[in-house]
Amino acid sequence: MMIDRRLFEEIDWVLIGLLLLLSLIGVFFIYSSSHFLSGNYYLRQLVWIGVSLLAAFLIVIVDYKFLVSFSIYFYAFVIAVLAGSLAFARLVAGTRSWLKFGLFQIQPSELAKIVMILVFARLFAEYKGRYLNGQSTALALLLAGVPLILIVLQPDLGTALTFLAIVGGGFILGGMKKKTIILLLVVSVAVGAGGWNFVLKPYQKRRLTTLLNPAGDPRGAGYQINQSKIAIGSGGLTGKGFMKGSQSQLRFLPARHTDFIFSVIGEEAGFLGVFLVILVYVLTLARMFLSVAKARDRAGVYIIFMASLLIAFQFLINVLMIIGLFPVTGVPLPFLSYGGSSLVSNFIAAGLVLNVKMRRFANV
Amino acid sequence: MPGDKIYEDLSVIVRRANTVFGVLAVVVLLTLGYYWKVQILDYQKYWSLAEANRTRTRALGAPRGLIRDREGKILADNRASFNVSLIRENIKDPASVYSDISRLVGISEEELRSRLERYKNVPSFEPVVIKDGLEPEEIAPIEARRLEFPMLDVQAEPKRFYPNKGLGAHILGYLQERSPEELRAGAGRNFRVGEMGGRAGVEREYDDRLTGQDGSVVEVVDSFGRKRDELDTAPPVQGREVKLSISAVLQDKAEKLLGEREGAIVALDPATGEVLAMASYPNFDPNRFISRFTPEEWTGLVNDPASPLENRAVRGLYAPGSIFKLVMALAGLDQGYVTEQTSVYCNGSISIYGTPRACWFPQGHGSMDLANAIKNSCNIYFYTLGRQMGIDAIAAAADRMGLGRKTGLDLPGEKEGLVPSSDWKMKTLKTPWFPGETISVAIGQGQLQVTPLQIAAMTAIVANRGRRVVPHLVLEDRGHPAAARPEAAGPPPFRASTFESVIEGMWRSVNDGGTGQGARVEGLNACGKTGSTQVVSRERAEMMARAGKPIKTHSWFSGFAPRDNPRIVVTVLVEFGGGGGATAGPLAREMFSCWKEILGR
Repeated sequence: MMIDRRLFEEIDWVLIGLLLLLSLIGVFFIYSSSHFLSGNYYLRQLVWIGVSLLAAFLIVIVDYKFLVSFSIYFYAFVIAVLAGSLAFARLVAGTRSWLKFGLFQIQPSELAKIVMILVFARLFAEYKGRYLNGQSTALALLLAGVPLILIVLQPDLGTALTFLAIVGGGFILGGMKKKTIILLLVVSVAVGAGGWNFVLKPYQKRRLTTLLNPAGDPRGAGYQINQSKIAIGSGGLTGKGFMKGSQSQLRFLPARHTDFIFSVIGEEAGFLGVFLVILVYVLTLARMFLSVAKARDRAGVYIIFMASLLIAFQFLINVLMIIGLFPVTGVPLPFLSYGGSSLVSNFIAAGLVLNVKMRRFANV
Repeated sequence: MPGDKIYEDLSVIVRRANTVFGVLAVVVLLTLGYYWKVQILDYQKYWSLAEANRTRTRALGAPRGLIRDREGKILADNRASFNVSLIRENIKDPASVYSDISRLVGISEEELRSRLERYKNVPSFEPVVIKDGLEPEEIAPIEARRLEFPMLDVQAEPKRFYPNKGLGAHILGYLQERSPEELRAGAGRNFRVGEMGGRAGVEREYDDRLTGQDGSVVEVVDSFGRKRDELDTAPPVQGREVKLSISAVLQDKAEKLLGEREGAIVALDPATGEVLAMASYPNFDPNRFISRFTPEEWTGLVNDPASPLENRAVRGLYAPGSIFKLVMALAGLDQGYVTEQTSVYCNGSISIYGTPRACWFPQGHGSMDLANAIKNSCNIYFYTLGRQMGIDAIAAAADRMGLGRKTGLDLPGEKEGLVPSSDWKMKTLKTPWFPGETISVAIGQGQLQVTPLQIAAMTAIVANRGRRVVPHLVLEDRGHPAAARPEAAGPPPFRASTFESVIEGMWRSVNDGGTGQGARVEGLNACGKTGSTQVVSRERAEMMARAGKPIKTHSWFSGFAPRDNPRIVVTVLVEFGGGGGATAGPLAREMFSCWKEILGR
């Protein structure tokens, strides 16, 4: 028996409650922003929440040590899927990041993030020193680099960015000497310059330049940012009311129920709504991050930290992006944005946190 | 339990994890601060941006006022039509979209660009009409592709329609699109881009009255420009109706009588000055101008040597010929140069100032008194009278009868004509007047120039025995006929008795075997005077006569009926129509009997 009564008592029900609260707030605003479209997105999202809970449950019942020890096989599998989808998947909206399974589409890159957490937990748990040595740094960069390059090639810049957050988080936690940090900075500047000139597509470059001057191209790439800012700003203190936001109801706002769901909240629920959602979010993240103290071992700390960072980073990028402080990169708001892959992977990440937290006692 | 042997020391990485969370929390707090700025401090700015985003004000074109004839028959109407406008603001990629639009709408790319060039100084959110006069089935394919062409806007608009085609075209005038300069100047009026304005005729003269008040509708639109709701509608107000004194039946008659002969026919009610008919040939179909896009047709009409756009009744300048003998007779009697009994012997020619002058009737009329001189249009009588009067007395008389200045008809572009005098010649030609020239003026030749309308107005003074009227086209203003009637200025030009004597001559001309007998209508007692004006110089005409070539003259007739309590004045001019009695007279007869028939009904 892999799970017993005592383990259940250790499950952080408060965290689960907070996550469900966020997800349901999401369903409400998905309904508000898509009820006039065919497709019943809010119902589909409810189904996805059920699927996600099931996935999280499956993750929770398997001891994380077991997952960590098998992580290298997961890693091999994910690399194969990423490479395969790059070769065979049909182009959807200009990228090959989607795999179609019947009615549903899955983004393998979402899965890659989870696997990367486990792989890094296994790798860094080996090093018990105050700082990572050069050999482990190189190995970590190699392990992260292969899937990262495959994701960038798809191209899925948003996922690549969150992927980098996990990697960076692992390094921060492992500890780096000044010399290594400087070296990494030099390498990243070189990669960034090379990427700008050889990898980034014109529309991606335009998004970056638009960030600096959104008014310069109000109908093109700047359009989304402008409309989103107008939506949020026009919400004022108390908002225009549920299903009454002109920007979202009249479809000025792009990607209303997916990446820009928080703009809908800003418009229809105003600053008060924004404040409340961010408050719930900060409580959730605090609950997750501060669980590191409850971890039994080094791998557990890494898992909790990177899983929490994954969610925190996406949250931050999204709320900055929709108000024009970050380029439009296609990062959804975890738990609130419509979308099965993102929901499942984020619930699995949260499941990993729960998993570690409930197994804090060594004698179980 | 920390410190327990079975647990490793994780304090360093836990501290690092907590530090990272602390940093993240600070960033979230700063982010919240930025949301506060956008949502609370800049609320007004974004609120108004959102408002502008979702509403669009669209002008609803007002139909122009109807134009009716005196019986209420509609001469200018409106009917529904569709146009396609381009909202330049919504164009994302001008380079590629123009060719797609030109194919979809069915205009050449060149034309599209020139349209936009014309409106380059008008704000880009104003729709520019790129095609008009579309039928409902023609707009369906455009409407179907609205998503691909968010910059196109299909609107219904009332379009001017002249149900009788060219009938009264010169009176009604035509419309053309208001120019960008007009739109900018505006002068208290808020013209819609692409609005049609009166360019000639009544449409121009009464443009203010006929132009309605555009309505507007505030629409809620989505980002594709699709209408989702209407917030506020101000319905358009149709322009005021204009009722003309024209009788469509008589007008039609006049136009048919002219047929395809260049010339003009004017009919007035002498009692009021109301214009009953005013035909001018060649004419045009004003419906052709309603479209904003018929430049070839337009330039064709403008450059046509026969000037179909010119209203010959008010803008055609002709020598009055023998009709001017009425002015001579009135002034001669009034100022005592002749009496009713004064007679002159006509043997076919006379030598004045050493130059032989012929009567039009080479055999000679014999002894002529005033009435018979008018009846037979004897040149010798009026040469003699003219020599006695001198040019300045003749010019003064012509001026009293309204020649040489505008009649005051309510149509734009009326011409003044010319009455020569010694002062005039000194001023313009810097040479003194030669007495020999007076002789030509005495029979309505020389530099004398009149419009058919001036002759009609002059004839009305005769018919009224000296009472002046101002010819006018608009019958009622806000339902009050009196308000539309302009005041005639000035006392009678000559004594009333002189008119009776001249009218006797005019009566004989028509009813007693005179030159105007072609205009005789049984039982109507019409009075009139004919005229045949030489278009070429006298010397040249004599040369052509010696060579046996036919000399075609302009053919005039002007008269009124009945003799007592006259109801109608008719003036006919047919260019190169030959003798006035032969050509113009019979046309006048048809006009007289047509009007008699209308009044009899």
